[in-house]
Amino acid sequence: MTVADVYIIGAGMHPFGRFEKSYEQIGAEAAAAALKHAGVAWRDIQSAFMARMYLPATSGPRILRKLGSTDISIIDVEAACASGGAALRQAVLAIKSGDVDLALVCGVEKMPRGFMDPAMIYSPWQVEMGISQNPSYWAMRAMRHMHEYGTTEEQIARVAYKNHKNSVHNPYAMYQKEFSIEQILNSTLVCDPIRLLEICAPNDGAAAVVVASERKMRQLGADGVRIAAISHSISRYSSDFRCPAESMSATVDNLGPTAVTAQRAFEAAGLGVDDIDCFEVQDTDAFCEIELYEELGLCAIGEGGRLINSGEVEIGGRRPVNMSGGLISKGEPVGASHLGQVVELVEQLRGTCGVRQVEGARVALAHVLGAGGNCAITILQR
Amino acid sequence: MTAPRIAIKEGLFAGPLERLDEVHLAGSRCDACGEMSLGAPNACSNCGADRLAAAALGDRGTLYTYTIVRHRPPGNYQGPAEFKPFGLGLVEIDGVIRVMAPLLPDPEKLHIGMSVKFHPYVLRTNEGGQDVVAFAYDAAGE
Repeated sequence: MTVADVYIIGAGMHPFGRFEKSYEQIGAEAAAAALKHAGVAWRDIQSAFMARMYLPATSGPRILRKLGSTDISIIDVEAACASGGAALRQAVLAIKSGDVDLALVCGVEKMPRGFMDPAMIYSPWQVEMGISQNPSYWAMRAMRHMHEYGTTEEQIARVAYKNHKNSVHNPYAMYQKEFSIEQILNSTLVCDPIRLLEICAPNDGAAAVVVASERKMRQLGADGVRIAAISHSISRYSSDFRCPAESMSATVDNLGPTAVTAQRAFEAAGLGVDDIDCFEVQDTDAFCEIELYEELGLCAIGEGGRLINSGEVEIGGRRPVNMSGGLISKGEPVGASHLGQVVELVEQLRGTCGVRQVEGARVALAHVLGAGGNCAITILQR
Repeated sequence: MTAPRIAIKEGLFAGPLERLDEVHLAGSRCDACGEMSLGAPNACSNCGADRLAAAALGDRGTLYTYTIVRHRPPGNYQGPAEFKPFGLGLVEIDGVIRVMAPLLPDPEKLHIGMSVKFHPYVLRTNEGGQDVVAFAYDAAGE
């Protein structure tokens, strides 16, 4: 059996930030933008998937009703920070199965300021004892990495510097502001060694894509970007102590969720890390991006700090990472974050990114990682 | 007569909660793969086998990694009314398990590899008048 390819034929966003608007409105605007970009009417969509984590039940139907009530299947999808990847994967599977030819995938969130609500990801006893401040788990990974490999606070700050700098040219980012390394290193410590300007803020936003079978794309005369692979997984036993881990093994050394998910995605795409021209990855905090260089295979384990110093991951470097400014500058509306990355990469592959364009980009990778070791990777190819 | 104490999480402790100096963290060793789990889970997280034997964890550990929580944790945090930054870390016990726990020493003096010891304590009293026992780790000296 040959499994036909699936293409993204339209991509659209609502900016990430803080807005005096309902989540229904924010989501509907992103969905409408993706439909318009695809040149497709809402009534032609045969199935829809809504990624969200912090919103109420039936958010999908409530949002998409604004475009007109149809009788198609609309499903809410939740997989923590990987929700958008899990939703996109469902749409790809629906098309590959032959069930539908044209689907909409939207991610949306509207979140309060400050630390994320711990009741969503921790057990009540962890919250009572204070083991429940989201950045703390990520910060502990940074501390260990610094201890084992000599990674420095300045190298971590350099990631935040790069991403804030890239965001200046991204109209969808929340901050769009450059900060000096000194300003970053002088910003408030949140969880040592992670500082305020090195961490992403929960906020509001939405992103959407229209996906189509190859046959449908040709029928519409649309210009699509091929989904070469989409992979979603949960961390293996004791391979990642991101929330809400209570304990870890001191003896079992399993491959981390990013390495596992990347392996699956590369295998499905028939590609390797050296074939990827540019990346959008989960920079929940600046250290996390350093760890991801290693887990994705951009450098050896322990070499992430040196890679950021090399300039290789800057726009204009050999392998740019987070051209959009990353979540550090865009903010993290959890349900929308992965699809926001995908929208950026579709624009990169179409060559429409202006100042932040990666010259000649043909293959691009989007990555998210969060609670429970939820990880999703999408590889797009022009 | 006072109500009996309860653990903040069922199955987390071994020993009589009325005598805190005899309380230890509870563990469960898998009959099939030998992996140690914290508390009393239904099945081994490593291999899925459901035959586990209770085994108390040692009270001494070393700090594998840590952070300093600089702002009051969100939600139903039951720590001191006046917030003070505190350490949070993974404590390696008996070379088999690393447990996530709050740390009592001065946060500025924490360092990876330092010796710590188990410290059960009464966190709060619940609506039924029962003391709720939680745990942290304190400096152990060398």
